[in-house]
Amino acid sequence: MLEFQRLVIKIAGESGQGVNSIGEMVAKALKRSGFCTFGYREYPSLIQGGHAFHQIDIADIPIHSSAKQTDLLICLSRVSFHAYLPTLKNGGQVIHMLEQLELSNQEKKLISDQQIKIVYIPAQNIARQIGGKSIMANVVMIAALWQLIGLPIDPLESVLRAEFASKPKVIEPNIACLKKGYTYKLEGLNPVLIKFKPQNKHKNDGLLSGNHLIAQGAVSAGVRAYFAYPMTPSSSILSYMADIYHQTQMLVKQVDDEITVVQMAIGAMFMGTRALVATSGGGFDLMTESVSLAGMTETPFVCILAQRPGPSTGLPTWTSASDLNLAVYAGHGEFPRCVIALSDPQSAYLAIQNAFNIAEKYQIPVVVLTEKQIAESLFQIESLPQSPKIKRHLVSEDKFFSLVAADRYKHTKTGISPRWLPGQSDATFVANSDEHSADGTVTEDAQISLQMYTKRLNKQITLHNDLPEPVLIGPNTAILTLVGWGSVKNTVCDVMNLWNTKFPMKCINYLHYEYVYPVRTKKLTDLVKRKQPICLIENNAFGQLGALLTQETGCHFEDKLLKFDGRPFFIDEVGEFLEKKIK
Amino acid sequence: MNTCDCHHKTDVRFSDYYSENILTWCTNCGNYGIQAAIKRALVAENIPPCRTLLCFDVGCHGNGADKIGGYRFHGIHGRVLAFACGASVANRKIKVIAFGGDGGTLGEGINHLVSAIRGNYDITFVLHNNLNYGLTTGQASATTKSGIKMNSSPDGVTSDPIHVMNFVFSLNPSFVARTFSGDVKHMSGIFQESIKHNGFSFIEVLQSCPSYNHMTPHQWYQSRVKDVTQMSGYNFRDIKAARQAAEDLEVQIAIGVLYQNSKSVPFMQRQANRLKVSGDLVDEVKVFPTEKLFDTFR
Repeated sequence: MLEFQRLVIKIAGESGQGVNSIGEMVAKALKRSGFCTFGYREYPSLIQGGHAFHQIDIADIPIHSSAKQTDLLICLSRVSFHAYLPTLKNGGQVIHMLEQLELSNQEKKLISDQQIKIVYIPAQNIARQIGGKSIMANVVMIAALWQLIGLPIDPLESVLRAEFASKPKVIEPNIACLKKGYTYKLEGLNPVLIKFKPQNKHKNDGLLSGNHLIAQGAVSAGVRAYFAYPMTPSSSILSYMADIYHQTQMLVKQVDDEITVVQMAIGAMFMGTRALVATSGGGFDLMTESVSLAGMTETPFVCILAQRPGPSTGLPTWTSASDLNLAVYAGHGEFPRCVIALSDPQSAYLAIQNAFNIAEKYQIPVVVLTEKQIAESLFQIESLPQSPKIKRHLVSEDKFFSLVAADRYKHTKTGISPRWLPGQSDATFVANSDEHSADGTVTEDAQISLQMYTKRLNKQITLHNDLPEPVLIGPNTAILTLVGWGSVKNTVCDVMNLWNTKFPMKCINYLHYEYVYPVRTKKLTDLVKRKQPICLIENNAFGQLGALLTQETGCHFEDKLLKFDGRPFFIDEVGEFLEKKIK
Repeated sequence: MNTCDCHHKTDVRFSDYYSENILTWCTNCGNYGIQAAIKRALVAENIPPCRTLLCFDVGCHGNGADKIGGYRFHGIHGRVLAFACGASVANRKIKVIAFGGDGGTLGEGINHLVSAIRGNYDITFVLHNNLNYGLTTGQASATTKSGIKMNSSPDGVTSDPIHVMNFVFSLNPSFVARTFSGDVKHMSGIFQESIKHNGFSFIEVLQSCPSYNHMTPHQWYQSRVKDVTQMSGYNFRDIKAARQAAEDLEVQIAIGVLYQNSKSVPFMQRQANRLKVSGDLVDEVKVFPTEKLFDTFR
């Protein structure tokens, strides 16, 4: 079996117990201790109750994916104990705060078979004895974890002090809880030796979610208005945009429905600023008529479509990559568009910036696909990548006076016509949702309609030629090429790193599609011509990228690894798949 | 943003809004008068076409989108208000005027009317209320009186109509006016007032539809309308009185500026993070350094 050099910690409890915030504190303290982390959340669509966890995978190299199996489980609630006990590895250990714990026969057998060690800490009593509130039990628990993994307490203490900086009264009791937990005797547990070394260079890394990175990318791209209606997993873009709006002075407005959202964005873009919207599948469904409007009026429009499993309300707080078809085919009629799919933290920051440049150059709608797995996971990165230049492709100032209305939709080789903004020239025009001639005047004439239709579709051809081919990651020669898009990349790359080191004679590589539509196919068809074994890997049931590639190339994917249970691909799963496949 | 300077020296003329395209509305349609009145108001306020964004919904009135000067956007049914609100926040130097029918505004897009009034976006909105869906050949709209036989309602409309003003007044609007498509002078005067208003101005135009509205033709309105300035003691700052005056749609129909809030605060002035910003969102599209934002996550 593929042995991943990781330590996996799961902090589990009920929704409302602060699982996520203590998970983030632990991750931050681990990072400041010099480790690389990746934070993955599972939680129900509830405000209180149910069971939730924040899992932190720790390694000595950057990682962007999770293991399915856990080394250490920190349990804050009864339900979560029973739910996550089976996720422990052989020799796994549990710290819980449940005074009375009843185990089923099955659980007893599991514990004995897997040699699982369990310890109880009266964390709530400890917190109360100190004079703190029972919620401070959380701090006792993570301090006990810290003791177990044998790390110096300072980074955790400094994170804790920073966390409560705005509430000075609670700092001291929390620190007292920390000290108690750190020294509490963990009877029966084996101290954990982290097998890899921390490195100073990671201590100053940033730790942030895909949604934070998207938002920062948008800010960098000169986005000046953000309109949204809350919908998981896009909502935290809205809350973060609002958190930073005094710094950015961006207009951040939550409006009454997604149709208002999309129309306001198109209005603001038509007027000439950069406006962004984000939603999930259901909200995007409501926007689709307006996507078609943007296509017809050649108004740039950028939407983040944060995927979660459907159909309908589906699994609101879980992950999926099943809306590629929606993004590619949304909206009535035929019009050019671009679909870009995020994967890793760098792409989250950069793709949104490229999306605006593309939307303004080609005057088309651009859909940026992300997933709950990217949106809400906690990525650790050294710094932000270099931003691309803002390119607006507007008519230059010296040409304002010579413009005529019929320039706005005039024929060009590329299909791209000059674009200028209200207020810039006395050559006023109409942007018309009806079929129109070059100045926007309505027409029903067959020839003009055909010309205009063709002009718009020519933009798609130009765009197709301008977009990059997918990226082949890993060695050029490999015995298997995986083909995928989205967060799949993160898992595959983490597995591939280890796999190719361990089996240098059986290397794999991975063909990653970030620019999904219009799709470039040369790299793929070259592989097919060389009879390279190929396996499609997607977080959906239809193999939607595969179907699109088949449609464009005629090549069929016989081999597919598809997952659609609301969970992302875990490294152990992909590892096992490869082991079975490549013997 | 650098802008057009075509009217720095000369006054705006009626001909500046001229379009070569021929109007296609039915004979005696109320839209002719409404469009003429809008042009008159814009000229009277000396707003050049390059500083205007006229936003049209889909419906009969929207077919005039390419038959007038100015920057124009002819969008999709029911959505004009949301589009216009979004456009208005991006550049306050451009006068945004939106037009919609009773079908799109009070049926499919009524949510946008609610948003626009609540947010007090700084735009003028002209409701072409002709009591039916004209462009789809005379179906009932949300303002068609119940019992009236319409296309697709052979035995008469079975739902009760929305009272436009009752609805609008319930949302605490900042400017409300009513006018009548048979009186271009009255309309242009009202449009001028609305253009000057700081915030969302709602104007209901009682519009004749010679093809499909035979119940309340031009003459029917003409004999019933009365401007509030001719009503003794009328106070257009009093929202309760305005609401009461607007109630009657059968005997004496109040027209004119029914209500204006003197303390209206338009949308962009409600944004706490933008109060010290003098420019507009269109002027601000440039690289914003993100290092500091990122550093807070270290």
